Amino acid sequence: MRIVIGQGSCGIAAGAEKVRKALLAANVNPADVSITGCIGMCYLEPIVDIYDDDNNLTRLVKVSENDAAAIASFVESGDVKAVENLVVTDEDSEFLSKQTRIALRNCGVINPEQIDAYTNAGGYSALKKALCELSPEEVIEIIKISGLAGRGGAGFPTWFKWNAARQSAGDEKYLICNADEGDPGAFMDRAVIESDPHNLIEGMLIGAYAIGAKHAVVYVRAEYPLAIKRLKNAIAQAKDKGIIGENIFGTGFSCDFMIKAGAGAFVCGEETALIESLEGHRGMPRLKPPFPAQSGFWRKPSNINNVETFANVAWIINNGGEAFAAMGTEGSKGTKVFAVTGKVKRSGLVEIPMGKTLRDVIFDIGGGMKTDKPFKAVQMGGPSGGCIPSDLIDTVIDYKALGATGAIMGSGGMVVMDESTCMVGMAKFFLDFTAKESCGKCIHCRIGTKRMLEMLERITKGEGKEGDIELLEELCYSIKDGALCGLGQTAPNPVLTTIKYFRDEYEAHIKDKKCPAGECSDLIEYRIIADKCKGCTLCARNCPVNAISGTVKNPHVINTEKCIKCGKCYSSCRFGAIVKE
Amino acid sequence: MVNLTINGKAVQAPEGSTILEAARLADIYIPTLCYDEAVEVYGACGLCVVEAQGIPKLLRSCSAKVSEGMVINTESERVVQSRKIAMELLMSAHDGDCVAPCQLNCPAKTDCQGYVGLIANGEYDAAIKLIKNKIPLPASIGRVCPHPCEKACRRQNVEEPINIAQLKAFAADMDLKSDSYLPECKPASGKTVAIIGGGPAGLTAAYYLTIMGHSVTVYDMMDKMGGMLRYGIPQYRLPKEVLDKEIAIIEKAGVKLVNNVKLGRDFTIKSLKEQNDAVIVAVGAWKSSSMRTPGEDLEGVYGGIDFLRAVIQGNAPAIGEKVAICGGGNTAMDACRTAVRLGAKEVYVIYRRTRNEMPADKLEIDEAEEEGVTYKFLTNPLSFNGENGKLKSVTLQLMELGEPDASGRRKPVPIEGKTEEIELDSVILAIGQKLVAEDVAELTLNSRGNIEADPDFFTTEIDGVFAIGDATNRGASIAIEAIGEADRCARAVDAFLNGQALDTRVPYISKRDESTIDYSDREKKERLNPKVLAPEVRNKNFDEVSLGFTEEEAQEEAKRCLECGCREYFKCKLLKVAQRYDIMPERFKGVMPQKYTHDENAFIERNTAKCILCGLCVRSCREVMNLSSIGLLGRGFTTDVSPAFSLPLDQTNCNNCGLCVQLCPTGSLTEKFALEKQVPLNEEYTEEFVDINGKQASVKVSRYNGKVLRVIPNDEISRNSGLTRDELMAKVIK
Repeated sequence: MRIVIGQGSCGIAAGAEKVRKALLAANVNPADVSITGCIGMCYLEPIVDIYDDDNNLTRLVKVSENDAAAIASFVESGDVKAVENLVVTDEDSEFLSKQTRIALRNCGVINPEQIDAYTNAGGYSALKKALCELSPEEVIEIIKISGLAGRGGAGFPTWFKWNAARQSAGDEKYLICNADEGDPGAFMDRAVIESDPHNLIEGMLIGAYAIGAKHAVVYVRAEYPLAIKRLKNAIAQAKDKGIIGENIFGTGFSCDFMIKAGAGAFVCGEETALIESLEGHRGMPRLKPPFPAQSGFWRKPSNINNVETFANVAWIINNGGEAFAAMGTEGSKGTKVFAVTGKVKRSGLVEIPMGKTLRDVIFDIGGGMKTDKPFKAVQMGGPSGGCIPSDLIDTVIDYKALGATGAIMGSGGMVVMDESTCMVGMAKFFLDFTAKESCGKCIHCRIGTKRMLEMLERITKGEGKEGDIELLEELCYSIKDGALCGLGQTAPNPVLTTIKYFRDEYEAHIKDKKCPAGECSDLIEYRIIADKCKGCTLCARNCPVNAISGTVKNPHVINTEKCIKCGKCYSSCRFGAIVKE
Repeated sequence: MVNLTINGKAVQAPEGSTILEAARLADIYIPTLCYDEAVEVYGACGLCVVEAQGIPKLLRSCSAKVSEGMVINTESERVVQSRKIAMELLMSAHDGDCVAPCQLNCPAKTDCQGYVGLIANGEYDAAIKLIKNKIPLPASIGRVCPHPCEKACRRQNVEEPINIAQLKAFAADMDLKSDSYLPECKPASGKTVAIIGGGPAGLTAAYYLTIMGHSVTVYDMMDKMGGMLRYGIPQYRLPKEVLDKEIAIIEKAGVKLVNNVKLGRDFTIKSLKEQNDAVIVAVGAWKSSSMRTPGEDLEGVYGGIDFLRAVIQGNAPAIGEKVAICGGGNTAMDACRTAVRLGAKEVYVIYRRTRNEMPADKLEIDEAEEEGVTYKFLTNPLSFNGENGKLKSVTLQLMELGEPDASGRRKPVPIEGKTEEIELDSVILAIGQKLVAEDVAELTLNSRGNIEADPDFFTTEIDGVFAIGDATNRGASIAIEAIGEADRCARAVDAFLNGQALDTRVPYISKRDESTIDYSDREKKERLNPKVLAPEVRNKNFDEVSLGFTEEEAQEEAKRCLECGCREYFKCKLLKVAQRYDIMPERFKGVMPQKYTHDENAFIERNTAKCILCGLCVRSCREVMNLSSIGLLGRGFTTDVSPAFSLPLDQTNCNNCGLCVQLCPTGSLTEKFALEKQVPLNEEYTEEFVDINGKQASVKVSRYNGKVLRVIPNDEISRNSGLTRDELMAKVIK
């Protein structure tokens, strides 16, 4: 009998720790209670998995501490009736069963705070195999065969970077993990570190062995305290077991580990800015060349990969490059993890083989839209990515195919939008993010993104003018061409793709001073249709500025001068009497 | 060595060089703002981008290394577009004035702030040199100019503008008192230029072309040179002795002056062109405009400039006791005040709008009234009535102000049926002046009846013939306008004589948004005017009204200057790059990243509003001096350079080495001059050596007009000496 509580940040935020304490207070055997990381169905947290002695799983979802007694009773009696209303539905179960989990294979399954849990699941066997049976060149060859590409966004072949770092002269080399996951809406890396830290360590050690690095560094954002705590714990455990340190497995290979907590600048996800920050400087990108493989951390050859990339490595060494390459498309191999959020019914982490379509993710696994409003577009790759409209929903998940739409694979953020989302407002949101996160170094990014943002602000306020779209486009292409690093070069993507697919929305804002999605408050007006209003007074009572007047059972009126367009009346009306125009 | 091609030119560069280094070796210019050999490459400005064949991305040439067979284009369309937008973005966030508004508003672009500042410091000879770069007749112009400079002067937002015109007259008078400034002429070019007309335009063009080494002759129809300055402006405003002295200097510079010869009578444009390499037509506008009012042909009706000329030539007409002047401009003022001085008892100024709309200088309007002139505002002559062909009276239509017209002034409209009659002995029509068309029969005139000349190249339809001044384009204007055209035309003619065509348009200049400027911290200080003769004294004679500034007054008035223009204007790298591209930063107009600030210590002034974040100051402080006294603060658009821990610079470990100031490509960091009043000056820098603790140390010395303005440490010894600027300065001056 095991009672496993999902305790990723998502679970804890939903109340998983309270549930655990309540369970311990109830009549369950404390020895049976353990934790695991993120199970992946964030929308159903807190989740409690109950395995019987035959390892049959009963998954309870949206559990609260008030359910503790019922769960204790179920554990005691084995009678599921006690917790019937908590058992996950078949439909929700599909969210996981339809996925193919490699990077996330242990997430939500094992206890992330115990190294034995990892080794029992086959952990560190790949490291042993690599160190004892394979030469560094052979490791690189296997990674080459696997077709593994950088999961941080750019999709650069991993073997190539490893090989370049290996070939670089000098015996002082660094292997660095980029865990500065900064895209709004992306949380794959956090889930991996919180839920399976040893998998990351193992992948990194294999990488360090391949390039000949004696030092491994994890640069993780300070906003991930739980990830840092679990990673520190995992490193200490691995050190105790001789997996980190001198002469690992008696092979003569040595590697130490260091964690650096980043202070929360998005640009530090850019590899050269990350290195500057590691060295204690302000996080600003360096010029390339030289590339980090030639001159990186402390000007020594360095290799930087993303968390998810490393999370695939041990599996590839164990199962062979061919097995990984068997999944996916011609140009994109293996699986990819997506953090699906927004107006989708089921949000969470989705790992699927490359070659599936966006429809598979959003509709088949994600369950389609949350409300009855139709799907409009999906923003891929966060602020660096672009939007893909509904008529391209069958686009295949593949670096090239996604790139052809103007969006990018990115690190895996997927923000799903329905018809109530204004695409100009969406572009403005992401640009506001990049403009604020620009490091301020190069002109194109520092001033260019700000001026674009100002233009978008004007447009959404109804102050746009003829020629603004063309000027935006001109500025976009110039910033892509002239910005120093990836942050600036990709910042125009949300604007360019929304102009490409939703130009009519821009024109409506500029020419007609209308927001078709009804989201830009400066361009909308709420009005009560007298015929439909029953005079229930609910809207008037909900209005925070007393802009609605009327008497009981008589049609109400909105004073548009006073109205602050908060939309409370609109959402509170039960008769559909309020329209937004 | 690596072989590569840059802009089609075969170039060799050592292995490991950057493209920028290779280009510099080959003398190919690539703009940079954040690059300096003293520090590591940075890549912020992105201006050094170039295109390399076969490489899809633009390369930053400061970091990209050369490789064998590389084909580079440093000026491709894509490269230029990228630099242009970079500069537009940069300038859209650069909150600074390159030059002061007074200078920009001066039609001759005279460096007003410069000479006002020099006068404040008592550097009168430097001031006159600066003035004479743009105006060869400053004593005259200082007296008569309606000073558009003062209209733009920001001091009026505190209380009143600086008395720029009178300060100019002061400096020029000082110069006339003894050995007057005479610039050196360039070696003789062997080219000759003929100028028709010896007014302000002709004399100015002649002066500058002579300095440029050309042989210039001015032909004029009158007895003496000076044109309208002599024959259109009364003695009490511009004593002819002053004008004579200034013309004598022009003659001394080498200009040949020929009087009493007339175009069309003694020579033609073509005949002059045959004998000279170039001809400038500057004949002016010598005919009074008509009002088309019945009775203008009566005896006793005079044209404004005709009347003034007759008085000046000693042929004053008998105007009688009752005189009216029609018009509201400065010529009307000259005419009415002259009429007073001729003994007229009742002098009226008939003007169809009100005092507020009068184009004449306010001082003139007031002084005329003091002298006894009566204004008849909101009246317009309906007819001049006569008896036996002699003027007897004028019938005036009474007017009222209606809607604003195209000029923004409220349009006067007649009040139906309301008239007034005034008895008169004579009337003077001072409503404008025109070109005498017959004089320039060789050139086609435009619809306004003026010579059509290119406004920027000053060329006419005849090759080698240029035209400027009152006779051209929009017609008569103020003298300084003609002088500005003449100065620019001289440069255009010089280029023409060298086989080139010169566009004399003012290139891009950074200007602050006037609406964002805060004056609240400025102390009020009253404007000084020179003393004048008492009205009851001056209205009886033609003595000069203004007594001019005393030295003390001039210095005090000059010190009121707000120092709007940037001290680093003359060596601003940012501006030089901006002017290379046809930029329109207003396309990207938006908020400014930083507040306009004045932060200073004993010798450095910091203004982050002008900062372009090239990082040279921060990097040199860290990499060269190993101090890190300043660093970058914040993120994104509002990123800022700040002393460590945001302390005043003096409280950091800054050792005042001045390296940051030296590397600053714009005016964000500047070192003060050894002058009481700070002035933007085009200094000359030399490297000199001083003894510091027995060691020879290099310093950079800036001088202007022979005076040492700044001494800047220039090597490790001088930067680390711990000496103050005053101590260093003493070592140079000793």
